[in-house]
Amino acid sequence: MKKIGSLKEFACTPDRFQGGHRLCPGCAHSMIVREVVNATDDDLVISTATGCLEVCSAIYPYTSWDVSWIHIGFENAAAAIAGAEAMHKALARKDKLYNDDRRVKFVAFGGDGGTYDIGFQSLSGAVERGHDFLYVCLDNENYANTGGQRSSATPIGAHTSTTPRGRVSYGEKQRKKDLTMIMAAHGCPYVATAIPGSKHWKDLATKAAKAISTVGPTFINALSPCTTEWKFKPEDTVEIADLAVETCAFPLYEIEDGHKLTINYRPKQKLPIEEYLGAQGRFSHLFKPENKWIIEEWQKQVDEYWDYLQRREEAGV
Amino acid sequence: MATPKDMLTTWDKVQFGAVLPSFEDPEHKKRSKFHSYNYTVADWRVEKPVFNRELCIDCDYCWVFCPDSCFQVEEVVNKRGKKQAKIVGINYNLCKGCGVCVEVCPTPIKSLLMFPEYVDNEEALKQWPKKD
Amino acid sequence: MAERYELKNKEVWDGNMAAAHALRQAQVDVVAAYPITPSTPIVQNYAQFLADGYVDGEFVMVESEHSAMSACVGAAAAGGRVATATSSQGYALMVEVLYQASGMRLPIVMTVVNRALASPLNIHGDQSDLYLGRDAGWIHLIANNPQEAYDLTLCAFRIGEDDRVRLPVTTNQDGFLVSHTAQVVEPLQDEDAYKFVGEYKAKNPMLDTKNPVTYGAQTEEEWHFEHKANQHKALMDSFPVIEEVFKEFEKVSGRKYNLVETYKLDDADVALVLMGSAYETAMLAVDKAREEGIKVGLLMPRVFRPFPYNEVAEKLKGVKAVAALDRSAPMGTTGALYNEVAGALAAKGESAILTNYIYGLGGRDTTVEHILEVIKETNENAKAGKRVTPLQGFINLRGPKLSFN
Repeated sequence: MKKIGSLKEFACTPDRFQGGHRLCPGCAHSMIVREVVNATDDDLVISTATGCLEVCSAIYPYTSWDVSWIHIGFENAAAAIAGAEAMHKALARKDKLYNDDRRVKFVAFGGDGGTYDIGFQSLSGAVERGHDFLYVCLDNENYANTGGQRSSATPIGAHTSTTPRGRVSYGEKQRKKDLTMIMAAHGCPYVATAIPGSKHWKDLATKAAKAISTVGPTFINALSPCTTEWKFKPEDTVEIADLAVETCAFPLYEIEDGHKLTINYRPKQKLPIEEYLGAQGRFSHLFKPENKWIIEEWQKQVDEYWDYLQRREEAGV
Repeated sequence: MATPKDMLTTWDKVQFGAVLPSFEDPEHKKRSKFHSYNYTVADWRVEKPVFNRELCIDCDYCWVFCPDSCFQVEEVVNKRGKKQAKIVGINYNLCKGCGVCVEVCPTPIKSLLMFPEYVDNEEALKQWPKKD
Repeated sequence: MAERYELKNKEVWDGNMAAAHALRQAQVDVVAAYPITPSTPIVQNYAQFLADGYVDGEFVMVESEHSAMSACVGAAAAGGRVATATSSQGYALMVEVLYQASGMRLPIVMTVVNRALASPLNIHGDQSDLYLGRDAGWIHLIANNPQEAYDLTLCAFRIGEDDRVRLPVTTNQDGFLVSHTAQVVEPLQDEDAYKFVGEYKAKNPMLDTKNPVTYGAQTEEEWHFEHKANQHKALMDSFPVIEEVFKEFEKVSGRKYNLVETYKLDDADVALVLMGSAYETAMLAVDKAREEGIKVGLLMPRVFRPFPYNEVAEKLKGVKAVAALDRSAPMGTTGALYNEVAGALAAKGESAILTNYIYGLGGRDTTVEHILEVIKETNENAKAGKRVTPLQGFINLRGPKLSFN
């Protein structure tokens, strides 16, 4: 496992995901992907579901990847990587590997669309079969690539193009699906949440290094603040990520073997949820007097979840 | 940037199965003409970050948070024998002018500031805010 | 090292067992499959081979057919020999990935046991699934009996993996009628079969991480057409390779396959065009009709895609009346075989009186008598010099006569 030390050391890593891609300026996907693929010295085979990352990093005749990469469709990133991993196992058993001296690891990237929704079956199947791979969900809480439609990862009150704020609606009515816990319940040896926050680059890189080197299916749910669909200025991506953690809207934790939860970061001063919601245009309508109750609901849900995590950690489950 | 004319091949010369090789010389990490590293998104910008080497402390936050892998580093060894990354420049072909690097730069007077695209970098350094 | 399976000179296998043995002998590296009637026994037999040590590749028991084909594509792109099996609903579920597989030029082999498509639900044999996937860019081979299912599956690997082709291949066999009907099959011994199929030669393998490659890029308006044209050309150019492989297979087995199979067609006034198990039934009907003085013959495209329109037109030259029999619900027009044959004849400036019959849907029995009736009707057209029967008729359909003009 690659040891993640100081950032000054980590920044010596030859970057395996290059620029020249067409992701939005300030896109958090790229920050997360760069950290994940650079968190290991092993060779990588990567699969990606249709979505912002795939569409922007492989527009014929250009590719932004320094590693082998495959995109098949929207709902089969996990199945694709499972196939590649099975081929690796078969060739190893038959002693027909292409390079005996290289270790190859398998990573799949999917947006919240390709992971929470349409790709869920394929992910669940691949994890249940125990393939040795890491699945990273790049969660920007909507189908950003197609113009910001809601997904099951969209939180309550969010304005999306299919749950728009309007005269008689306040936006998304459903709660965000708790995919991290669902994946932990699958019995993955390692599951974690991560975010590209200014204080949390090391948390993300360490978790990626650990997840890649762990044998078996591992899952990282990475919140990816989306400047285009969450409606904030491109330069504020990292700040929004920080706010998500400081308000406990997105707690950073990891679960080993499905039943040992560790909280990785406790904000010294838990900020009120208004700080996080107020910084994003997609929630601006919640600050109207008739919608204030949604902010209260938000705070309640955040507090309850934070409390639940702490109790689980204390109980050692 | 639209696809350069010399990349626009005919039906009989497209890449087999639309498969793109990353390197033309994998040994020496020379990226192929199909690699976006050799593309440019500079025309996306209206303002650009200018790097002030004098003020930089090489914390490398800009390197880790740049979505476009713009920061060019040089590996140096510090006094305690540990290797660390020294920022030596910005790849302006790949920079979209998002401004994240300026936001995350932690120095009291920032080592990275946004300037309009048309301003010369040397000029920009002369205009740098001074310590009061 | 996989164990050798001692085979007799003549085995009694149904189509599923024949296909499963062919997959085993090809030493497939990854099989990712999901069970569906009537192809389930292929998956089960393969699992038994694996459990008994006759297979040393990986067998990924995926959670759906969509994931089956997706895992096959991921594995093939990774760089090794890949195969799977399915039918009807499963085939329909993976149709999206079929296009993705052929677009990436990955030589995957799939044995499809043809079954009707719901609704209403039916598990029996007809060719609706074959017709569904015909434009997906795969090569399609048609097997009429277990021997052919075995032979063509072995040929499929050679054809698909050839440097000049590099396309995925499907071998089709009728559900239950071939897949579950045991007949005598003369297999090749393991070492001969593998020698014929040969070692897998990878092209752009992802697992050769020293030379990383990107699969599945997006091509927009300025590129997509060129890529699709290139792919289509590869399919059209695969005819000579298919013929070469068939010729080589004849040397190894003594059995010769052709792009187009015919039966007593040389001097025929009347011809029937059909594929699948009914072809053999039709052979008996042709013999009977000839006894009664009708000069009738049969034609079958052994290779359905790419469609051998030149050979079809050539073989049908001089035939006065042709009936195309389609084993799939046509849903609003004439059946696919009718359309392909009509196109083939028109392309060569030939003509015949063409009619269409729909038969055998959902495993409906089609007997020698039924086909004899079709022959007699088609003969009426030949005698009259013009079409005197309906354009589209239905064989063995219970109820008042249904036809379209």
